Amino acid sequence: MTLLTEKRAPRTQHEKRKIRGKVHLREHLMGWLFVGPFGVVFLAFLIAPLGYALYLSLFQKKLIGGTSFVLFDNYVKAFTDPSFLSGVWFVLRFSLVSIPLQILIALALALILDAVTTLFARFSRLMIFLPYAIPTVIGAVMWGFLYSKGFGPLTDIFGLFGATAPDFLSSDLIFYGLLNVVTWQWAGYYMIILYAALQGVDPTLYEAARMDGAGRWQIATRIKIPLIAPALILILVFSLIGTLQFFNEPQILRYLAAGTIGTDFTPNMYAYQQAFSLANFNYGSAISFALGGIVFICVYAFLFFTRKRRSFL
Amino acid sequence: MKRRRILATVAMLAAGSGLVACSSDGGGSDASNCTNTITKQNVPVVTMWGWYPNTQLVVDNFNKQHDDVQVCWTNVGQGGDEYDKFQTAISAGTGAPDVIMVEADRIPTFQIQGALVDIKQYGYDAVKANYGEGAWKDVSVGDKVYGVPVDGGPMGMIYRKDIFDKYKITPPKTWAEYEQAAQKVKDAGGPLFGDLGANVPAVLMALQIQKGASPFTYDPAQPKSIGVKLNDQASKDVLDYWGGLAKKGLVGTQDQFTPEYISGVINGNYATYISAAWAPGYLTGAGVGKGQDTGKFAVAPLPQWDPANPVQVNWGGSAFSVTKQAKKPELAAKVAYGLYADKESLTDGWTNQIIFPLNLTALKDPAFVDLKVAFFDGQQANKEVYLPAADAYKGVAYAPFGQYYLDAMTKQVSEVIKGSITGSQAADRLQEDVAKYAKEQGFTVQ
Amino acid sequence: MTDHTSVRAGTRRPQRYLPMQILLGFLVIYFLVPFWWVIVNSSKDAPGLFGGGNTLWFTDQIDYIGNLKQLFTYDGGIYLRWILNSTLYAIAGGVGATVLAVMAGYGFAKYRFAARRFSFAVVLGALMVPATALVIPTFIMFSRLGLTNTVWAVILPSLLNPFGVYLMHVYARDAVPDELLDAARVDGAGEVRTFLQIALPLMRPAVVTVLLLSAVASWNNYFLPLAMLSDNRLFPVTVGLGLWQGIASANNSGGTSLWSLIILGSLVSVLPLIIAFFSLQRHWRGGLSVGGLR
Repeated sequence: MTLLTEKRAPRTQHEKRKIRGKVHLREHLMGWLFVGPFGVVFLAFLIAPLGYALYLSLFQKKLIGGTSFVLFDNYVKAFTDPSFLSGVWFVLRFSLVSIPLQILIALALALILDAVTTLFARFSRLMIFLPYAIPTVIGAVMWGFLYSKGFGPLTDIFGLFGATAPDFLSSDLIFYGLLNVVTWQWAGYYMIILYAALQGVDPTLYEAARMDGAGRWQIATRIKIPLIAPALILILVFSLIGTLQFFNEPQILRYLAAGTIGTDFTPNMYAYQQAFSLANFNYGSAISFALGGIVFICVYAFLFFTRKRRSFL
Repeated sequence: MKRRRILATVAMLAAGSGLVACSSDGGGSDASNCTNTITKQNVPVVTMWGWYPNTQLVVDNFNKQHDDVQVCWTNVGQGGDEYDKFQTAISAGTGAPDVIMVEADRIPTFQIQGALVDIKQYGYDAVKANYGEGAWKDVSVGDKVYGVPVDGGPMGMIYRKDIFDKYKITPPKTWAEYEQAAQKVKDAGGPLFGDLGANVPAVLMALQIQKGASPFTYDPAQPKSIGVKLNDQASKDVLDYWGGLAKKGLVGTQDQFTPEYISGVINGNYATYISAAWAPGYLTGAGVGKGQDTGKFAVAPLPQWDPANPVQVNWGGSAFSVTKQAKKPELAAKVAYGLYADKESLTDGWTNQIIFPLNLTALKDPAFVDLKVAFFDGQQANKEVYLPAADAYKGVAYAPFGQYYLDAMTKQVSEVIKGSITGSQAADRLQEDVAKYAKEQGFTVQ
Repeated sequence: MTDHTSVRAGTRRPQRYLPMQILLGFLVIYFLVPFWWVIVNSSKDAPGLFGGGNTLWFTDQIDYIGNLKQLFTYDGGIYLRWILNSTLYAIAGGVGATVLAVMAGYGFAKYRFAARRFSFAVVLGALMVPATALVIPTFIMFSRLGLTNTVWAVILPSLLNPFGVYLMHVYARDAVPDELLDAARVDGAGEVRTFLQIALPLMRPAVVTVLLLSAVASWNNYFLPLAMLSDNRLFPVTVGLGLWQGIASANNSGGTSLWSLIILGSLVSVLPLIIAFFSLQRHWRGGLSVGGLR
């Protein structure tokens, strides 16, 4: 848990007084009073379910023969289950492509919007952010229509160039179909975070750089990007966690392409199918837990390699 | 100022929806959440889930005719969506309705979990004569009855007359002719001849059974043992046949029941649609057979493998079952027996081609037999196609893990469509997959 | 393309780089096309939708009123109920989660209590727990308690927002000076009053941000209500439209073509959040920079 320890803030006068004095009990009490309500919710809806999921995942339930304790059998099964493994492989691949893409777009947009200050730029900022206000489910419904060859615009648009529209719901192209939905949905949100970070940078820094003869490009890459690195790391981590848990979009597009998007398309969908469609809560829990472990490892590895773990969490 | 206004609106909305929500805390089996309106007060209410397009009318008819019980209906989704909800409610031990519409092939799946009530003791004898023996067999497990038959799904080949005329073909009688006709239309630059949809595995199962496959053998007297035979020659042949058609570009590979498919059917992208007797009603509901394509459809008997020994099969077809969570099973059984059993509802069902009734009074009704179906431009579809098909249907043994089997089938069929494996390989993989699952679930697989 | 406007936005003449603006224009089109498609096609009926024709332009028949009427009356007006449910879940979940997060964030930032560092580390670790991994066990726990298929099944779990706590903690630490709190204490104000009257107003941008983020999270929630609720009268609009999608796919809405309703329903359902975002823009933009920049 060391990576999670919060950055040490310098002790304030108030704290110093506390340490010298003997008002510890009152401070403990007040602290817990403020944190307590959240703590209760945290225990009830995070720790307890997690513990329960772990417990459930150690059992096996059969249609014939009932429930029995199997220790880690479900995990052994999961990590040899082609359905689970192919799902994990998919979300990993998808993360590797979709996250850099979204962040690059978001970063480029944020830098442009930071530099261009016309009315149109302000309007664009809002419009690009707009998809974030759309529930992911609705976004997927909308794109599902747009991908239709029969009544979506793709046929018309590609028809202009005399080409046949690609079928983004076919098994060859579903990766790109989903990539587009996710990018559309989230790039604007990340852009706003980065933009807000850029707006917080002291402009005199640019001035100084310009004095030294730095061009616009150098200011962007040498000054702006390093300064907003913490924000970048933050959204990278969040998009990584979110993408590994991919569920809503493929689940909705399944209505249109059940053949392409199987019930085991992503690990989360597979867990859902096992638990809610096949009544196998034990194996479903094991899959969720195994996925949680994978998320943890990926995030840790990411933070380790960026060596930014202290400045973020 | 502005902020205060927003806050006020928000508070109002919260209060409003809070009031609405309070009345519905009771859950799915709470009678206060009906889609239909119950007019009779102080009468016991039975909750029901169902998705027939004309359920509203069926329920209203029932409620009108009964003073001792009223039905409260909810549509929680069609097929798989409803089953997932029901499965969840079974696991939770709460939230299931009293009566539920299920397809016959799902009955063993829910029965083995003890989720359904044997309704033989609740008035079976009184209605026994209303349905044929085969109909009862499909809703029974062993000698216990777990559902009241409502509709069947005798299959036929729906086709576009305009396309058949244009390319000068007659309805194929065998699957070999079907392929030849498909080739002919393709060579002449015509549309696709049919569709292999990965999301309708039940169709492929039916077509395999037509060729002589018997996927599952299950005797409830020996619940621990099950026969799984998904890769015999017949099963392989059918998957190879359809995989071949798709590979040659003779049929499409679009998922069915999607807007894409519907618009394809409307626009004449498919010459045939291999489907069941209830299909016209569903197609009509989606806007097919209206406007520009009015009167363009017709139906012919399902093509055969061996015309000398025709085999008829079934897709879909459903029943009303009573769930274990029903607090008054007897009352629920009364609803199950009585819903969709009155003449008015049945007549509405079959005139709109939403159901193919199993109730003998409807089946023998000359108006039903001679019906000139509007969707088929006045063709006497029942007499010519569906009734003979229904009469010849022998019934099938279904798996007690239907959901898994059908999901697995969808997965393999989509591999076939992708072209990564052949139909035979798909059958082998399916066998391996399902047999493994059956073993994991504690069955002895033969 | 001159460079002399070196001071930040607003104070001098706007900076306009034409190529960049053109690029922006293309991106705006990309981000808006789905909205345009939905706006255009929610004016059509089923034949207009499926029967070919230009999908990015209106047909001769523009029938918003008729479609709206149908949307709000179909199945006993269930759509309105879904919107109200979503509103309830978003407000209850959003406000609840925010209150808890503000208190906890402030507590973590301003009091040195026992097990504080450890607790905070655990909360941060929770950020990495897949939210969906909790749905399955929570569902079973709730079903034991008889809470599944009630509004509580959706509201209670959405009170949990560890990211909100993190954000509030960072903000409270940086934006609320200890000296100010000490001064209030010296003046005899109790801890609670100090919090409410001194700290809270200073934390307002972050509070609005956390409120919006958690309300959006609740409004967008799909997996949790999908699993918890079987009664469609309790559905939020996301799950409801998913249900319609499923029913419409089976073409069995009994003569009503649900597709038009789904398209219009999508459009209507996104309006509240868009309005909320635009009207509160000033507040959340300030708060968002906090999470990133520290």
